Amino acid sequence: MDLKRVLDGIYALTLHSTKKLLFGKKAIITILVALFVAAVMGYAGSQSHNPLDDGTNLMDTLILFFFMPVMAMIFGSSLIRDEIDDKSITHVATAPLDRAFSYLGYYLPLVIAVALSMVAISSVGMVAFFGQHGFGSETLEIYLEFLALVVIGSFVYSSLFLAISVLFNKPVMVGLFYAFIWEGYIGSLPGAIQNASVKHYLRSLGSGWVEFGDISRWDQASSVWGSAALLIALAVFLLVLGAYLFREKELA
Amino acid sequence: MTVQENGSKPIIQAQALSKWYGQVIGLNNFALRVTPGITGIVGPNGSGKSTFFKLVLGLIKPNAGSITVLGQRPWKNPDLHSSIGFCPDYESLPADSTGREYLTLIGKLHMMHGTALSKRIQEIVKLVEMGQALDRKTGGYSKGMRQRMKIAGALLHDPELLILDEPLSGTDPLVRKDIIDLIKRLHKEHGHDIIVSSHVLFEIERMTHNVALVYMGRAVASGDISEIRNLMDRHPHNIIIEGERTTALAKLLLDQDYVVSVSFNDNKNSVTLQVSKPEDFFNNLPTLIDKAQCSVSKMYSLDDNLEAVFRYLVGR
Repeated sequence: MDLKRVLDGIYALTLHSTKKLLFGKKAIITILVALFVAAVMGYAGSQSHNPLDDGTNLMDTLILFFFMPVMAMIFGSSLIRDEIDDKSITHVATAPLDRAFSYLGYYLPLVIAVALSMVAISSVGMVAFFGQHGFGSETLEIYLEFLALVVIGSFVYSSLFLAISVLFNKPVMVGLFYAFIWEGYIGSLPGAIQNASVKHYLRSLGSGWVEFGDISRWDQASSVWGSAALLIALAVFLLVLGAYLFREKELA
Repeated sequence: MTVQENGSKPIIQAQALSKWYGQVIGLNNFALRVTPGITGIVGPNGSGKSTFFKLVLGLIKPNAGSITVLGQRPWKNPDLHSSIGFCPDYESLPADSTGREYLTLIGKLHMMHGTALSKRIQEIVKLVEMGQALDRKTGGYSKGMRQRMKIAGALLHDPELLILDEPLSGTDPLVRKDIIDLIKRLHKEHGHDIIVSSHVLFEIERMTHNVALVYMGRAVASGDISEIRNLMDRHPHNIIIEGERTTALAKLLLDQDYVVSVSFNDNKNSVTLQVSKPEDFFNNLPTLIDKAQCSVSKMYSLDDNLEAVFRYLVGR
């Protein structure tokens, strides 16, 4: 295996796909979501008498636990399938690069695109809400903590939706089911069933960092480090699984 | 089946190769040996040409049999792609990229960088005559321009073997001529071995004399195109003649040794002939028409489409 060729290939694909994701048609969705978040959080901010708790709760429920999986689903669930369907994957499939490594060339830009979009949406929400109450050190702390959570979430959800993109012929349907039914509904049910969602562990992780809002009082399923380890293990497992499936996949 | 049996080391060797997709058979016990030069793969749509190319490129794996390309097995062998350039028959250019961005991506995937890559891109676009359109979005290209850009992408890393799947499909006559000239030049001046497919025999004939005929997932004939033409001529051709007093003409035709059968169609002025030597038939026909005192208003061959010829070759 020629390491330089592998790194060059991954870099070239990352550059190409990042540009496509960030400046393609899906960028419009990021702008629309940001406008929606600005409107909702702006109005909530104007009505809030307890901004630190209310603002944190909105960042928690609206951004981290709703738009985070939805945006990862929009960017990731059809990324590879779209290229297989429109056959623009040919230049990747006929490149002298093992497909397991090509898969990394899709994963990295996906993480970058999801993370940048979520950071932009979170920043817009923060400004819209806390801009009306002034920015203090506590606000900055909340902001940075949520940025860390959305970046971690980007790694995990990207590995999940990219694997779905390789595993299923109709990945958008599966992605919609996962994002809305599984994460959105099952992950909110009382009892142990919610432990089977990514959002549960992201919230557990957040409960150790954030000092305001409901997330700070979250009944942790496991320790902060335990949740972090589990999320890392899940992301790595899904990445390896997706790379293996992509390598074995016939591109008829 | 061997294309250009000249003792050269084969660039592609397929033996008992089969590929099926569920109930659909793509290739069935396919055998072919391709040696260096330009080789034409001819077959009607759906005959298995593209499946063969996908197996050559390692995009799919065979269900049975074996294939080697440049001495290596292609499935899960990305290193082999350094030696192969592929121009697919479908639209594969990213519509939102310019020609330069597309070629830059291809070049980087093949470990080309900086000024060397820029220089190579300039060389290639000059060769395919796409210099003017290099910085335009590929989504706005005409069919001919897209074909040229795909060929440029296939050539960029200077591969030993170039695979062109239906490069003339959908192009106008002028573009066809240009692409045919380009393909010939790529072999003659640049030394690429080329495999080019088409469903039109005469197009391939303008590029090479080495052909393999593919039909229903099998290589039914291969070798020099004149041998294949002889092989075709040994099979009876169906010809329909319409006009007046065709009965008299039919009687005369029955006495000719190259006429296998004569049958009248529903319309009594229409006759279907089976002819074993079409050349003799066409040479003698004016004399026979004159002798029979008939007038022919229409004459056409049922075998003008390649599919009918292939049916003969596989004995259906």
